[in-house]
Amino acid sequence: MMKLEAIIQPSRFESVKEALREIGIEGMTVTEVRGHGRQKGHTEVYRGREYTVDLLPKIKIEMVLPDPLVQRAVDTILKTAKTGKIGDGKIFLSRVDEAIRIRNDERGENAL
Amino acid sequence: MEVKSAARPRQVPANQPAKTMQGSLTPLSVLGPQTEEERRRIREKFEAGAGARETLTALCELADRTVRQIFGEVLRVHDTPTNGLSLVALGGYGRELLFPYSDLDILFLFGNEAAEADFRPLIADFSRTLWDLGFRVSSAGRSLEECKRIEEDNAEFHLALLDRRLLTGDEELFERFTKKILAGPEKQARPFLLAELTKLTRERHARYGNTIYHLEPNVKDAPGGLRDFQAASWLRQIAGEQRAGWNSSAAEQEMSGVAVDFLSAIRCFLHYSNARNDNTLTYELQTAAAGRALGISDAASREMHRSPEEWMRLYFRQARVLNRLLLRYIEQKPATQPTLRERLLSAARSTRGEPGKAKPFVVRDGLLEVVDEAALSDRAVTFDLFTEAARTGVPLSREAERAIFYILKHPELRQKNKETSWKTLREILASAYPGMALRPMQRLALLLEVLPEFKAIDSLVVRDFYHRYTVDEHSLRTIEHLQELADTSDPRASHFRQLWKSVERRDLLILALLLHDVGKGMGTDNHVVGSLEALESAAERLRLSDYETEEVHFLIKHHLDMSATVQRRDIFDAGTISGFAETIATQERLQRLCLLTYADIHAVNPEALTPWKAEMLWQLFVATSNHFSRTLDRDRLHASDEVSLLEQVRSQAHGANIEEVERFLEGFPRRYRSVHSAGEIATHFELYRSLGKEPVQSELTARHHSFSLTVLTADRPALFATISGVLAGWGMNIVKADAFANAAGVVLDTFQFVDMHHTLELNPTEPDRFRKSLADILNGEAELGPLLKGREAASKARPPKVTIETKIAYDDASSAQSTLLEIMAQDRPGLLYEIGSALARLGCNIDVALIDTEGQKAIDVFYLTDRGKKLAPGKQELLKEVLQSSLA
Repeated sequence: MMKLEAIIQPSRFESVKEALREIGIEGMTVTEVRGHGRQKGHTEVYRGREYTVDLLPKIKIEMVLPDPLVQRAVDTILKTAKTGKIGDGKIFLSRVDEAIRIRNDERGENAL
Repeated sequence: MEVKSAARPRQVPANQPAKTMQGSLTPLSVLGPQTEEERRRIREKFEAGAGARETLTALCELADRTVRQIFGEVLRVHDTPTNGLSLVALGGYGRELLFPYSDLDILFLFGNEAAEADFRPLIADFSRTLWDLGFRVSSAGRSLEECKRIEEDNAEFHLALLDRRLLTGDEELFERFTKKILAGPEKQARPFLLAELTKLTRERHARYGNTIYHLEPNVKDAPGGLRDFQAASWLRQIAGEQRAGWNSSAAEQEMSGVAVDFLSAIRCFLHYSNARNDNTLTYELQTAAAGRALGISDAASREMHRSPEEWMRLYFRQARVLNRLLLRYIEQKPATQPTLRERLLSAARSTRGEPGKAKPFVVRDGLLEVVDEAALSDRAVTFDLFTEAARTGVPLSREAERAIFYILKHPELRQKNKETSWKTLREILASAYPGMALRPMQRLALLLEVLPEFKAIDSLVVRDFYHRYTVDEHSLRTIEHLQELADTSDPRASHFRQLWKSVERRDLLILALLLHDVGKGMGTDNHVVGSLEALESAAERLRLSDYETEEVHFLIKHHLDMSATVQRRDIFDAGTISGFAETIATQERLQRLCLLTYADIHAVNPEALTPWKAEMLWQLFVATSNHFSRTLDRDRLHASDEVSLLEQVRSQAHGANIEEVERFLEGFPRRYRSVHSAGEIATHFELYRSLGKEPVQSELTARHHSFSLTVLTADRPALFATISGVLAGWGMNIVKADAFANAAGVVLDTFQFVDMHHTLELNPTEPDRFRKSLADILNGEAELGPLLKGREAASKARPPKVTIETKIAYDDASSAQSTLLEIMAQDRPGLLYEIGSALARLGCNIDVALIDTEGQKAIDVFYLTDRGKKLAPGKQELLKEVLQSSLA
């Protein structure tokens, strides 16, 4: 089992979700986040007030997947979240030791 | 009533072994099946249609019988007499209304401390046996001595005691307890209990967002739930006899009896369905309850309420009865707690009225009270009252609402002015606190009288994962979230506060919010289509102008667009912004749509508007707003593309041909088309055609609280400054202005201003004199100087309330031909004249100007050229210095 964390542009989220659903991935945790990598923020002025947007809005998707699905999920996110511009985000993968479904104590991939 | 366990001085332990045993208890193997059988029989009767009261009483009798039997047996086994111990039922059990999975609240009352120690093993056996039989015992132990004092941290216990009932044990002890021991403390505790009960109720209501209208309501604890009825009964019990007007009429008692039966049936059903004390009426159980017409005995009514939507409407109707019953005793709080000074001022204002004619309402303790109830038979007076609430944020008292309700419910009382005009409604919707009027109007069904379209969403449950409230509740909440903007410290609101204060035509925004989801109750595939139909009928009935209808239409039609753009598009992409701006078309619409979106997301559920979403929405707003002000000269009209506009203008102008109209429109910034209706453009075209006769054409129109001046003339040096100067000289305060020119160099300037001294308003001959003075000065036939001198003294007299620092900025990137100058400064009469004069002195030509004010701040954007080119850096520096010194 692997944990996949993807930080993507908010505007791509609906497409990514839909594409993941098409390859059979329904379960995910989604968080509204802010941050920046190489894409730095900018300053916006509205009616004389300056607003520095140094942390840009992003969406974080987290999911734990059985090994055979991981590469497909990564490919799907790469394909659908890419706009080619700076700020498209990143994908992080890490190994997961155990998963337990609280309702019935199922373990391992059965709990996913 | 759950008695706060942390505050119980001595919880009776349930697991200590008995000391001496005499014989044994009836075995569980015998008692268990008997009890279960009895429970099954009661449930079957309920399922077969027995009423809730019958079921609750049967459950209570079963509990009573079991308690007495077990208690008798443990006494026998422990060989103990009952002297010194009483078992007292409290709360719902005390009232003999026991729901299937409710706790048995039992007080073990001891004659003295020693008795408590003696009885401890016996009580442990007793409690354990009851638990084993499936009764959830929630017990508390007190000695008589302990009951003499008021437990200030445990009001719940004192409230539960109000429903005490002797179950078994020492009768004499209970008698003494209730007649002698409690009499004193209960009387002393009255003010404490009243305050605590009010506080507990407010906290409980706040937990449920202060509304009955939840999509999946909790039938016990949510507002309108059974707890409301109980709290009302307690309040009456504690203080009823002391308060005038707290008695219920027979009709009210009957209504609340029906409501309690209905909700009790639901609660029983929920307990049985969930097999636990869970009182949430989920979608699934709504369908099941509606399917069996739960709680309805009348055959015709059963048929009418078979659909979950209709059955839920019935639920809300009954919940309203119980909620209203309680709220009579608990006054509303004002939108903001007024300071003493505000209260005094407000009271003085409200009582002043016209000479010789006292106002029928006053402000007392931060609430609007009716002093002349008979005056309410005039519907105009009732609406005056609502307008006052909307204007000041002072809520109507419950008694005021009751007085209106009484008049409405008695059609035999003569009523005047029953028709409510758009003018009256508009006054309410345009106020700072429209929700303060709309809420009571909804409760009294007056909102439906003015806006019958709202009926489609009355108490309507639309099942949805995100929404928490019924559609009507959601709609009213949107409006309340906006009015809260003025006073809230919520960080999500910070950006939007100023926008709410300065937004134009707030009435159109609020009307759009009232109607935006009405389509959800109209059975159309897309609710927006239904909502637009509702607007059409409302606009026709209320006689909205074309402009008003068009603006509300726009907001309803696009009410999801801004949210969708924020979530699905890259708002940091210039293409997204220009595409979005094209749909929105004007700054004014953008402001209203932004507030609508903020409110619409906020009212979905308390967590829906995350700081992240609020920030994204604001970013989109700022980017689009800046796009509007920075691209004015880029987006210009190509008259030949505007086929329908050309035709409309031509048809309204006598004997004009299309080419003539084209020449007039060619080259105006697109904003010109967006902020004026075809009718207005036709009027401008007529002025344009008259330029041959008179070189300066003007039109003056009175608007809501302001005037609008349009000047059409050939471009000339210092034109904008001169018009601003004339307005300043006449004592007019400019709040907004546009200056546009077409390709042929014809300038069209529009000024919106406030007539501060009511010169034009009060003197019928002055508007003409004003227009002549303007033309004379522009034509060089009169001097501006003397006119301005007269005003100077008066305009400098008043110090500003807020100090705004002057900011001057240039933008050479946004326009291909012009330099953008953006000025933020303290607004004051004559400001625009000073800026315009400085620009003219330095030879700067104004291609486009966009003038706005936000409270005391003036926000001016000029597109400047110097002999047809952008301003050179040196010129920019010089201009900045000149402006800084003249604005300082």
